[in-house]
Amino acid sequence: QGGARRAGIMTDVHRRFLQLLMTHGVLEERGVRRLQKHCYRVHGRTAAVEELEDFINNINSVLESLYIEIKKGATEDDGRPVYALVNLATTPVSKMASDFAENELDLFRKALELIIDSETGFASSTNILNLVDQLKGKKMRKKEAEQVLQKFVQNKWLIEKEGEFTLHSRAILEMEQYIRETYPDAVKTCNICHGLLIQGQSCETCGIRMHLPCVAKYFRSAPEPRCPHCNDYWPHEIPEVFNPDKEREAGTSKANKKPSRSRQH
Amino acid sequence: MLQKPESGALPIPQAEGKDGGRDGETQALTASQEEAPSPLLQESSKEDLGAGREEGAAEPALTPKGARTLAAKALARRRAYRRLDRTVAELVQFLLVKDKKKSPITRFEMVKYVIGDLKDLFPEIIARAAEHLRYVFGFELKQLGRKHHTYILINKLKPLEEEEEEDLGGDGPRLGLLIMILGLIYMKGNSARETQVWEMLRRLGMRPSKYHFLFGYPKRLILEDFVQQRYLNYRQVPHTNPPECEFSWGPRSNLEISKMKVLGFVAKLHKKEPHHWPVQYREALADEADRARAKARAEASMRARARANQRAGIHPW
Repeated sequence: QGGARRAGIMTDVHRRFLQLLMTHGVLEERGVRRLQKHCYRVHGRTAAVEELEDFINNINSVLESLYIEIKKGATEDDGRPVYALVNLATTPVSKMASDFAENELDLFRKALELIIDSETGFASSTNILNLVDQLKGKKMRKKEAEQVLQKFVQNKWLIEKEGEFTLHSRAILEMEQYIRETYPDAVKTCNICHGLLIQGQSCETCGIRMHLPCVAKYFRSAPEPRCPHCNDYWPHEIPEVFNPDKEREAGTSKANKKPSRSRQH
Repeated sequence: MLQKPESGALPIPQAEGKDGGRDGETQALTASQEEAPSPLLQESSKEDLGAGREEGAAEPALTPKGARTLAAKALARRRAYRRLDRTVAELVQFLLVKDKKKSPITRFEMVKYVIGDLKDLFPEIIARAAEHLRYVFGFELKQLGRKHHTYILINKLKPLEEEEEEDLGGDGPRLGLLIMILGLIYMKGNSARETQVWEMLRRLGMRPSKYHFLFGYPKRLILEDFVQQRYLNYRQVPHTNPPECEFSWGPRSNLEISKMKVLGFVAKLHKKEPHHWPVQYREALADEADRARAKARAEASMRARARANQRAGIHPW
């Protein structure tokens, strides 16, 4: 018999949810919950709103045969849970391919390589723009490349902070597999969760790295933080664990918080 | 064990690619393939059948050799099936991604980028992809005219009421602009001169080549994007000097929205009722009747086809 898994049932509630999640590209958990409620309001008033995790697992069981899934991740800077619809098969940058020209995609690839190779997970605008001559396809001027980089930011593939670029959580979710396979030597991983690491903190003695939210969780209420690998004193500021309820009370939006991006490598 | 389809759910031959060794099992699809040998079986014989082919079909299943033959054949069939599965999944993703841009997708592109050398199976692949799109996402894959081999996706979910309209981000304002243009075209008797469109937009503070914070460059949005997405038709009016161009509704507009809806929008804009414009109102009513008839015909033919398939024992999935 072989334990045939029951695939979930799709209703218009689930279909609308998928459609809207796709238009957003990536969505924070708060937004996902609102989206779910919205879909029930529109298509399934009488049904009880399913617990989010079950709701998503249900949909994923149907998506499995299409080699896609709703994947959950976290933002690297403050650990907010995020969701995106991702390919399980490695089709590199395919989702971007429809929105961008060949030279634009190549610009992204160049930025991606600089980001992965960097110590901080950030690549400066200058360094990216200096590679403009090496791009495949139609010749691109630096001025144009600046606008293309802004397009990447608007479409949630890159994040910009103070003139430097890093990967948006969307890119990390969608391209993790591709990145691991394409840059196996340069890629960094987190010592705690073993996921792909772009931004994080590292031990100055043994060099292991951890995501900021992983650091927060691991050292939560530890009086003296020590490296899990070599036991040396952990020299960086320990961030706070992300608390969604605290966020809502204080009413702080991401825009208000001035990110103190201290170089922690 | 034959997989019994759940009510409403796709009978999914469970994720073979992930679980690997399920060697003794037959799946629902291969069973039906026994009845209706598809090219898929020929294809699987091209893959490694090795021992199987040498032995020949005459070997009884009960000898060790015969059992190996059958196992090899089954394995090759499953491999070919998995490959088909995979291609269908890639086509679904391809269609979703391309449709996000709203540009119609051609059969040529599908074969070039996704289907490759399985192109003889195009009808089956696209039929399965269409069913996944319908069942999982609520999209209908529509062919734009028989001879053109171009396709678009239509949203089959019930259209949202105004209060239910969620902020779709970038799309909202553009579609609002489009409806304004469709409205103008309709009220002017189903075609509007380009100059009339720009005049209307100028009154809204838009200039063709001046960057707009919501729409980008209006000229590019309207003359390139909307036309390429088949929302608008754009053609030169014959015998005009200097040459003038006019807009009319494109095939996607006819599929995604109706004259009655657009009239309703225009009416609201002017704070009047639709029947304030008797000519357009009558035309919209006739259009509604046509749509109802076409829908009834389509449903009837779909039912007939389903019955015919059932009789022939063809299970597309």
